[in-house]
Amino acid sequence: MNITHYIIKNFMKMILLIVLVSVVTFTLAVNSPIDPIRQYIGTGTVTDDQRDSIEEYWGLNDTKAERFVKWSTNLLHGDFGDSIIFRKGVLSVISEKAGSSLFLMLSTFTLTGILGYIIGLFMGRFRDSIGDRILKSICITFSATPTFWVGMLMLIIFSVKLGIFPIGFSMPIGVRADEVNIFDKIYHTILPALTLTLVFIPNIALHTRSKVIEVLESDYVLFAKARGESQKSIMKNHVIKNTVLPAITIQFGSFSEIFGGSVLAENVFSYPGLGTTIVTAGLGGDIPLLLGITIIISIFVFIGNFIADLLHLFINPMIREEEI
Amino acid sequence: MKKDLIRVMLIAIMVLSLLVGCSSQQTNVRKEETNEKEVKKDSIVMAIGSEPDGGFDPVIGWGRYGSPLIQSTLVETNADMKIVGDLAKDYTVSEDGLTLTFNLRDDAYFTDGEQVTADDVVFTYETAKKSNSIVDFTVLEKISAKDDFIVEMKLKNPESTFIYSIAKTGIVPEHAYSKTYGDNPIGSGPFKFVQWDKGQQLVLEANEDYYGTVPKMKKVTVLFMTEDTALVAAKAGQLDVAMTVPSLATDEIEGMTIYKAATIDNRGLTLPVVPAKGEKTEDGYPIGNNVTSDIAIRKALSYGINREKLVDEVLNGYGTPAYTESDDMPWFNEESKVKYDVEKAKELLEEAGWVDKDNDGIREKGNQKAEFNLIYSSGDSVRQGLALAATAQAKKLGISIIVEGMSWDEIDKRMYEDAVLMGWGDQNPMETYLLYHSSNKGQPNYYNPENFDNPIVDKYLEEALKTSDQEKANELWKKVQWDGKTGTSALGEAPWVWLVNVDHLYYVREGIDVGEQKIHPHGHAWPLVANLRDWKWTE
Repeated sequence: MNITHYIIKNFMKMILLIVLVSVVTFTLAVNSPIDPIRQYIGTGTVTDDQRDSIEEYWGLNDTKAERFVKWSTNLLHGDFGDSIIFRKGVLSVISEKAGSSLFLMLSTFTLTGILGYIIGLFMGRFRDSIGDRILKSICITFSATPTFWVGMLMLIIFSVKLGIFPIGFSMPIGVRADEVNIFDKIYHTILPALTLTLVFIPNIALHTRSKVIEVLESDYVLFAKARGESQKSIMKNHVIKNTVLPAITIQFGSFSEIFGGSVLAENVFSYPGLGTTIVTAGLGGDIPLLLGITIIISIFVFIGNFIADLLHLFINPMIREEEI
Repeated sequence: MKKDLIRVMLIAIMVLSLLVGCSSQQTNVRKEETNEKEVKKDSIVMAIGSEPDGGFDPVIGWGRYGSPLIQSTLVETNADMKIVGDLAKDYTVSEDGLTLTFNLRDDAYFTDGEQVTADDVVFTYETAKKSNSIVDFTVLEKISAKDDFIVEMKLKNPESTFIYSIAKTGIVPEHAYSKTYGDNPIGSGPFKFVQWDKGQQLVLEANEDYYGTVPKMKKVTVLFMTEDTALVAAKAGQLDVAMTVPSLATDEIEGMTIYKAATIDNRGLTLPVVPAKGEKTEDGYPIGNNVTSDIAIRKALSYGINREKLVDEVLNGYGTPAYTESDDMPWFNEESKVKYDVEKAKELLEEAGWVDKDNDGIREKGNQKAEFNLIYSSGDSVRQGLALAATAQAKKLGISIIVEGMSWDEIDKRMYEDAVLMGWGDQNPMETYLLYHSSNKGQPNYYNPENFDNPIVDKYLEEALKTSDQEKANELWKKVQWDGKTGTSALGEAPWVWLVNVDHLYYVREGIDVGEQKIHPHGHAWPLVANLRDWKWTE
């Protein structure tokens, strides 16, 4: 089996995943108690005739099966349909929002990955020291704390009391878009990214810590010590080599969780992104948009896992030989 | 080993100080900005809820819960909810109520310099009619331009309330309209659109060429954030106006006061007026209730529930008693304000034969216990609180209410046989028509689940719609509530027991004058800025 086969096999898996995800999401969405028309009209006074014409326009008069068939045939032609709430193409809504989200998620992803791994290494290496104990309790506390609450806390400390970070948004208040530069964007992303990082670091840090301890207690490390290898070279030659792979797997596997967390963080920090959009779509019964975002996210998560697999191949020669 | 540790810590400290260093520079800049603002005092930053998802396009509904701000409307409602001219200097309605003629002013220009003409008005209404949106123009038969500044509308049937819909419809420029108009609107209203950062902020500037009084607020920034975050932002001094809710309004913010906007955002109980005889709606849901179908029960509840107490207990005082769906609007009948009177309530019950024979605290009539279900949408804490508080008060009258929270799709099935805690409040008497006309009874649209059907009320409703004169129409709407013999209020048949109007709350920075506000409709947020052009800093 060569690399092309491997990629084709995974591509087929992705197609299957998309089909399954869209069927499940659609079934859940159409059977949810939310009446999109009711959500849309609110308490506006609308006559029954107008209500009927909105229903017709949104295609709610067709049976559920008809709607699904129509939607999926359009999708096969690359057409994600129109969002009923935003009244424009689903893809254009997503592309408007995805930029900021992606920026936030990628910075969180990188920060948690690198920092989490380093902290994990440190905790494992200096097991049961004061530093390890403090970090461990911090990790356990944050992994048990809801994202929005951490976000609120960060806002209150850094924005209200200290006043060193903005209260939210991805750009300064009341400033023209053409006067906003990349540093403004980064400055506004720090707090939400920090919040997400705090919430997601424990996962990888604690995991790496236990792996490090496992390796340090292994026979081969004992043997290395007996051979007179220094701590430094043991860390380099044995510990890092044997813990980096599980860390990568864990980190790429948490892709979907980081997305979930970013939905909450975006809401707290009024940060424009897919997170707030998917909430709007879900509550408003905007099925085309909901399906569109769900599919894009599944592709995203799938690709994340796929990259992790590929990295495995390149990093670990054993797997490379077996798999290919 | 120790050295490694120290090295790691040093790096961490360096990174941290770098971060703090960068940001403290930023703060200085920001502080200067705020100082500048305090000197000029002609700009305002506010957070008033969520953004319109479809953008700022009046054709699909922008401006319907307040005023379109960026666009101007043919007519508008003043602080007393009377119709006055805007883009149209004046208008006439034909005797049969079918033809409306508007005389436009000739000094109105869009912000791109093009004049507003009758063609733009025709274009706006024709596009809106085809939009399949919340903008309901089904009654409009045809609209045409008689000349550059005269517009004529033909209605399918007379509808005196259509003018309220016209008053909320901003006029869009035909020459600059496209599917993406809502992202980058051009209008002839008091404010000029500057920028919309989706999910974040809307920036407006005063339109210096506006034909009316040019707004004193030269720059308006509207931020879109949740109430929690808005509260934090207000505390950080970044906001001049922040929308809030009673549960959060307990916090004091330095330099800000709480502004209570009076509303017709009402809550009340729908009570089925027909007995259960095994009848079913088209969808097969049972109709009728043997307790609430007795008028004495409905009237006793109307008189015997202390609305002031509900306001204090459930709304922390942020509300007013409600007596109809349209308290204090020009079409509200003052007589509907019934006095809280427990003795009278008990008398009514006893006269009708509801007596507590077995001394269990609940009255009976024959074999029928005075007991019914009250359902509310679970998750809405205000509705839950009201349902429970009203139940406690009803108990003292000898009426037992069983409260149940459920989702709307379950309420859909049970609202024809049980009491429901509902809420309405549109600045348009069309709502009165929809709530009480017999054509809506038992229909799956929440308007008349009580199955209320009164031919005299129907006649007033129909006449009020047909009348070409707004004053006469208002008199007829009042008669719907009470005409001396019958009506929909507590004096008449009381198909609803209205409980409270919920105040809308905003933190407002001291020194801001929010002008004379209309009574706000159901829907918290944009109504506050309907009169934004009158706002000013007083200091």
